[in-house]
Amino acid sequence: MTVDTAWIDGQPATREDALQAAADLLGESRQPFVGGLRTDVAGLRSALSLARRIGAVVDHSGSAAIYPFIVAARESGAFLAAPAEMRRRADRVLIVGDTAAETGAAVIGMLTETAPDLGVRTRGAERLFMSLGSRNAASPGSLKTRHVDCAGGEIADVLGMVRAKLAGRRATEGALGEETITTITSFLTEAGFCCIVFSPAEFGELGTEQIFGLLAGLNETTRASALPVFSEADAMGAALQTTWTAGFPLRLSFGRSTTEHDAALNASERQLSGDGEADLAILVDAIAGASPAKSPTAIPTIMITADPASAGTARVAFLVATAGRDHDGVLYDPRFGSFVAKAAQTKSELPSVAEILDALTEQLGERARNAA
Amino acid sequence: MLTRLSGGHVVDPANGRDEVADLFVKDGLVVDPPANAQAADETIDCTGLVVMAGAIDIHSHIAGGHVNTARLLLPEWHRAFQARPGETALSKVGWTTEETGLLYAEMGFTTVVEPAMAPSSALHAHLELADTPIIDKATLVVLGNDDMLMSMIREGESESAIADYVAWTVSASRALGVKCINAGGSAAFKENVRRFDFDDVVPDYGVSSRQIVKTLQTAVTSLGIPHPLHVHCNNLGVPGASSDSIEATIRAAEGAPLHLAHIQFYGYGTEGKRRFSSRGQKLAELVNATPEITVDIGQVMFGQTVTISSDELRQFAGRGQASPRKSIIFDHEANGGGVVPMNYKQKSYFNALQWAIGLELFLLIEDPSRVFFTTDHPNGAPFTTYPDIFALLMDRSVRAKWLDALPKSVVKMTSLPQIEREYTLNEIATMTRASPARLLGTTDRGHLGAGAVADVAVYRPGDDKATMFGKAAYVLKDGELVVKDGQVVKRKFGRALTLRPEPDKAMKTRLDRYFDDKYGLSARWFEVPHGALGREDPFKVVPCRA
Repeated sequence: MTVDTAWIDGQPATREDALQAAADLLGESRQPFVGGLRTDVAGLRSALSLARRIGAVVDHSGSAAIYPFIVAARESGAFLAAPAEMRRRADRVLIVGDTAAETGAAVIGMLTETAPDLGVRTRGAERLFMSLGSRNAASPGSLKTRHVDCAGGEIADVLGMVRAKLAGRRATEGALGEETITTITSFLTEAGFCCIVFSPAEFGELGTEQIFGLLAGLNETTRASALPVFSEADAMGAALQTTWTAGFPLRLSFGRSTTEHDAALNASERQLSGDGEADLAILVDAIAGASPAKSPTAIPTIMITADPASAGTARVAFLVATAGRDHDGVLYDPRFGSFVAKAAQTKSELPSVAEILDALTEQLGERARNAA
Repeated sequence: MLTRLSGGHVVDPANGRDEVADLFVKDGLVVDPPANAQAADETIDCTGLVVMAGAIDIHSHIAGGHVNTARLLLPEWHRAFQARPGETALSKVGWTTEETGLLYAEMGFTTVVEPAMAPSSALHAHLELADTPIIDKATLVVLGNDDMLMSMIREGESESAIADYVAWTVSASRALGVKCINAGGSAAFKENVRRFDFDDVVPDYGVSSRQIVKTLQTAVTSLGIPHPLHVHCNNLGVPGASSDSIEATIRAAEGAPLHLAHIQFYGYGTEGKRRFSSRGQKLAELVNATPEITVDIGQVMFGQTVTISSDELRQFAGRGQASPRKSIIFDHEANGGGVVPMNYKQKSYFNALQWAIGLELFLLIEDPSRVFFTTDHPNGAPFTTYPDIFALLMDRSVRAKWLDALPKSVVKMTSLPQIEREYTLNEIATMTRASPARLLGTTDRGHLGAGAVADVAVYRPGDDKATMFGKAAYVLKDGELVVKDGQVVKRKFGRALTLRPEPDKAMKTRLDRYFDDKYGLSARWFEVPHGALGREDPFKVVPCRA
């Protein structure tokens, strides 16, 4: 039995015919979009090369999860830590918000299961946690965890009051009262090294800026840093790679002579909704783990996917291998905070994302040569 | 294919040549002249042109996590970010990997060393380098604030054990050498120490910066790593303390090779009413008197740039001077670091004196084979300012014009107006070709003798040295013409030059356990596998000395 690996309008096709059909669609497109981008470094390199070739708008399906962080960092700066360093050094951890516990479960789990072993003040100390939000985010019931109940909408204000207290400025009592603000401030300032864990997507750009501002204040006299956690870490890897390749973290366009970056105009959600300029999408979805909920796609798509079930509605679809599982691949790993080479665990006959995208680029080149 | 570069002025100090001659290239290498010069398949007429080996930049931050963070931090400096693109701040800079490779090649540079690769960021750095076209690349891996090394010193482990650790790190990260950045300073900053001198002790380890530098110097020497330990000293940029730190570090070389990076940032005294003065002359005299020392300058040029450093303590201290006012500070394993934008202003007493101190050092250090041409890109200035710096070194009338534009208070505080020296073409070729190759142990380049890789830069000479060195007339990379009249005509990919010392098996096993137990990370994640970079032939191995 042969496995179908390419489809045109939902019907099985040869790869060659599907490549031809995809090239035809691209030939007719006035503004293509290259998105999804759930792939490895090689796949993304090929996607960017194709995007440049066809003048596409580019974004990752998960960029909304990282953009509050990117905007806050580039507008006002940041303090950032490596998870593994915090595992060894942080003696106090402030978990801010209600979503960090889920989004950052791996990081928080690592911090709750270990104790600091570096630093004169921190080594051998019991790691203390404080959770600021409407639910306890770390080890509920543990003696080493203190929960400060605070509605989500009040958190940024509360942190602003902590900043004011650190700076010796007067502030209103706010939602929690001065005593609680003093408690939070003391928790932070009495640390040997404090780590703040939060999900930027929960707080938006201004809330994220508030947290980095708090860290700036803390570091005037003590040491502290942050571990922002993201629901789609591979979006961060893609943002880093597009930055070194094209100068910007996603949401860019190769449509004109110089690369253009506009975080609103080029956002995946806008382009796929049909409200953007794109009239055709190439979507890549081929890394391990469940795909996040997809944006509704109101424009025709060329799908490159490791999940044959998602090929059905695409005009053209290709089944590909999963990087780091079916073939060797380089992926961003949030525990490491950088890129990691992952060896294949199984052997697959399926092509990689890079192979399909390179073949499509080649197909376009062939057509251009024939047209000339 | 045999290519003949005919009739050019060949400046090749490594082989003692400074003459009009033909140069022949075949199969990517320089070859001896054939019996029949007319047999060449292709001839490039170099009559009236200057022919040199491709230039080598030994210290330029072009790839890796911190460099990429600078790109993230500063979208407004990218030409494309502007609503009406024009001459924006840094618009000429090689901001992407693509632009970096092309702009370097257009100036005749064919090998560039990224000097600050964290072990944890090695794969990231190599991925960027693999995407950087035309030029060959290399990296220096950073040690000296890492728990493993400082623990080994504290525990009194043997020199050979420490050398095994260094060998594993160099080999895994595919580096060409070892760099030490503010030894112990970042680790001390994590303990909330705000000033750290050469003989200060890292809390919790009880080891001094001096011990760390000396230990790494010994390990590098014993492993036969050609490039001496590359040191970024303590107290960079701090008037008085910087000068004291570099003097102490130079004296600590004790006859063994040591390379000191971007020494301009350490030539600062505290004299004068602004408590900021030049110690360039004194530092140059010390370098002249210490033959085991090599240095690069880190020249400051005026304009907007960004500082990128794994000296976390320094970057944190400098964030108050950020322009625009934003910065990113990293608390990573080992060094961490920071990215702080900087605008060096010609009318600023401090910035103008920094500029003058760099030139004093270039011109007062007598031996061009021991002083290397860098701006510490982008920390002192973007590498695209190199042509102007060549002009400043080669033409004192150019220096006089620049000095005229400076605040008068600066001119009084520098010996630069009295310095008459002008670099010759031969000295430029020594500083940017022959000596860097010797320093890095890359004997296959930096010269035009038979057997050298055919990396060749051809310049159109003229009175305006900035124009001459800004746009090469021709550049050959591995024998292929890649630049003509200052424009890239062929895009290809070079390789990363790496050492490959054989790591000790017991150390490998020990580090597997160490990274897993201590950090919860796989030691494999610190390795750069050959197949990960997506290039057919990503590495060229440089041998260690026997």
